[in-house]
Amino acid sequence: MNTLANSAAVAPPGRIRMLRKRYFPTPLQGLVSVVSAGLLALILWKLLNWAFLSAVFGADGSAADCRAAGGACWSVIANRWRIIFFGLYPYAEQWRSALACVAVVAMIVLSCIPSFWRPWRLAAVWIVGTAIYYILMKGGVLGLRYVGEEQWGGLALTLFIFVATCLIGFPLSIVLALLRRSNLPVISRGTGLLIDAVRSLPLLAILFAFAVVVPFMLPGWLQTGKLYRVVFGAGLFFAAYQAEIIRGGLQGVPRGQEEAAMALGIGYWHRVGKILLPQAMRNALPATINQFVIGFKETSLVIVVGFFEILASGNAAYGTGEWTFAYREVYAFIALIYFVFTYSLSRYGAYLERRMAISSR
Amino acid sequence: MADTHPTNVPAVQINGMNKFYGHFHALKNIHLTVHRGEKVVVCGPSGSGKSTMIRCINRLEEHNSGQITVLGTELNDDVASIDGIRREVGMVFQHFNLFPHMTVLENCVLAPMLVRKTPRAQAEAAAMRYLEKVRIPEQALKYPGQLSGGQQQRVAIARSLCMEPEILLFDEPTSALDPEMISEVLDVMVHLATEGRTMICVTHEMGFARRVADRVIFMDAGEIVEEAPPEMFFQSPSSERTKQFLSQVLGH
Repeated sequence: MNTLANSAAVAPPGRIRMLRKRYFPTPLQGLVSVVSAGLLALILWKLLNWAFLSAVFGADGSAADCRAAGGACWSVIANRWRIIFFGLYPYAEQWRSALACVAVVAMIVLSCIPSFWRPWRLAAVWIVGTAIYYILMKGGVLGLRYVGEEQWGGLALTLFIFVATCLIGFPLSIVLALLRRSNLPVISRGTGLLIDAVRSLPLLAILFAFAVVVPFMLPGWLQTGKLYRVVFGAGLFFAAYQAEIIRGGLQGVPRGQEEAAMALGIGYWHRVGKILLPQAMRNALPATINQFVIGFKETSLVIVVGFFEILASGNAAYGTGEWTFAYREVYAFIALIYFVFTYSLSRYGAYLERRMAISSR
Repeated sequence: MADTHPTNVPAVQINGMNKFYGHFHALKNIHLTVHRGEKVVVCGPSGSGKSTMIRCINRLEEHNSGQITVLGTELNDDVASIDGIRREVGMVFQHFNLFPHMTVLENCVLAPMLVRKTPRAQAEAAAMRYLEKVRIPEQALKYPGQLSGGQQQRVAIARSLCMEPEILLFDEPTSALDPEMISEVLDVMVHLATEGRTMICVTHEMGFARRVADRVIFMDAGEIVEEAPPEMFFQSPSSERTKQFLSQVLGH
């Protein structure tokens, strides 16, 4: 009781003194503090007013209501959200697209849980997740109507491109990083050249090449849909960058680690899988999370080869005559969706770093 | 695994071995035979090639000419036979080289489980036995980063022992330790020396050499300069270079 009373008596003056010291050390700095606080309050008030107080919510709000209210017109989202999430996917079948999104998000969440990090568990999660997504989206089996890839769109397409890019790019990046370390100069130089070549091209050029140029070079039996070629191109691009990140991580593992494993008679694959990669991935974790976040945002570039991922679908959502004025609201909404995914990714990265710090040296 | 090799072949036999780093002649015409159960201490000034020599024995370094035969198997480019030899030759490093992302126990059971296919329960039981032998069983579930240098080096010794190697190589095992931790590691090594395993130790610990070595080898500038039982080595060394080295090491 005594200490409680004491701390209650002492704490407020202490806090005020601290605030004064921090924000009003001199009259001039005090003035700066006041002006900054005022500006911040003004901006927050305007934003609050726009987004909530003068905004029109609900599907019933018309464009005319919105103009009259003067604030944000969230009615555009309420009316057009299906286009943002599902793009050109047939209206009656959009529940399939929604379920497919749920399947992909579940697959991502499951593969982020450490107890799933066993090769066969991960493989099972990915195979089942991809199969569910594919069957739901494409149909043609189990009584589901066939929907071609050119009709896929919105968030469902963005998630597909992101996940497929990672599933192709991440394993490929490990292979490239290991090949680059090969003792055979032909292999290490060749891999280096491939990585440098891919990295020196803009992603746009690679996507174009895989969408337009590659079909001319492939034999007939290798001709796949444009979407798969484009995703492969994005995966290759991802792998080139990620391979260098992993190589950096491998360089951070002391030489003695591999020697100790060799001296114990542990073979190459176990040395790589049990000793080198776990430590390299720990070193490379911050940069890796960064690369995944970039990968997620770069999915928007597939618009140039004619796919309607979420950003392009957003353009279509306000692009009809009635709602053209409401582009701010649509972009704010899409930004929020991007933020939810990328922020989750970075929080997950922070969690992994804390988890690994427990066993760090 | 001792039974798999005929007991009449020497543990290590090195014949006319040379090693170059570019133009630098690191090891010059090395001849050395280590018999089974023998304890050999290798000493010499830094840069004399002693570490390089023992690292050639489990092929962490490749020799350029001459022959190295370990337990009857010659070291060449055959990866399978090298892995086979490494299973029988344990090594303890100057900087411990424990795997930092695994607990002490996991460090110990990793190689037996992966290489010898020992079931986990059996590997863990053996690991605990060896951790008791190096007097550190209570640390089994900690990570290497939570241990002192001396404790880490004792874990590294236990990790090597878990593979039940025929031969143990020590590459300056106490050189990276704070002075007060050297004796706890040396005590363990002295105890090991009584158990009949072949040991080749690169070390500056002359007291250890006097106590356990059957033979002391002095190297300088990539050559074996002197080879003698410890009494003779310390009392009446034949070469000037050995005398000079001993006066520097023992002089104060």
